[in-house]
Amino acid sequence: MRLARVSVAAAAVAVAWLADLAYACPSCASPLEENRQAFVDTTVFLTVVPLMMMGGFIWWLRRRIRAMEDAPEIAVHENLLRDAGPFSKGR
Amino acid sequence: MPDDALGRAFGVPARREPVLPNGVLGMLIFVATEVMFFSGLISAFVIGKSNAVGGWPPPGQPRLPVEETALNTAALLASGVALYFANRAFKNGSPNTKRLLLLAIALGGFFVVFQGAEWVALIGEGLTLTSGQLGGFFYLLVGTHAVHVAAGFIILLYTYSKLSHDDLDRFTFWPAQVFWYFVVGVWPILYWQVYL
Repeated sequence: MRLARVSVAAAAVAVAWLADLAYACPSCASPLEENRQAFVDTTVFLTVVPLMMMGGFIWWLRRRIRAMEDAPEIAVHENLLRDAGPFSKGR
Repeated sequence: MPDDALGRAFGVPARREPVLPNGVLGMLIFVATEVMFFSGLISAFVIGKSNAVGGWPPPGQPRLPVEETALNTAALLASGVALYFANRAFKNGSPNTKRLLLLAIALGGFFVVFQGAEWVALIGEGLTLTSGQLGGFFYLLVGTHAVHVAAGFIILLYTYSKLSHDDLDRFTFWPAQVFWYFVVGVWPILYWQVYL
């Protein structure tokens, strides 16, 4: 059992040792500085945009829930809720 | 006080207002996917532009009408502002809602027609989808946005028709606004990237 663990650890170290840089970045070899910069900028942009959208939505939702909790309960007649438009049919 | 105490006084059941109506949530999810779609297109354009040999815009290609499109951009932004005020008027039950909504639709229509005329002129000058990188990116980015403007225009017309029949509620109006604000908001970024 111990031998197996040592073997696995040794294999992991060997793989790490043997691994070379995987030139997967298409812009790393580009001679154009502007092109390299564009890749960095767009990578940052595409990483940040979804995080900002999700963060913004959660922040807004939290604010709205708090505002609704503070607001007094109101009575809404069923007729008002019956046809709530094409996006909310059957509410 | 129990939840339905107020409602009982009026003989109707009390309903807790949804935090977010289903229609709005659905539209927000759709718009989020659209934001990522446009982000991908813009990123591809930025990289293509930075990689262009001979600078950008490529030599020998027609120039894009920057000043004319600035006017068109102003019309689209004004349409967003008109829709915002239409919503405020709708909330207050003001009769101005119809006028403001019609103004927003008219400005959106102006944008579509103006862009169509611009495309006809550019095709006449030789800028087509296959004429080069500029034409390919231009029609892809601006064309995709134009499809969204046309869809938003139809949604606003539907909203106006509901309002005219006194049948518009905020569960319908709100998602329509979310979509139109997206269409209006993404355009200045496209204008800045593609035209300037």
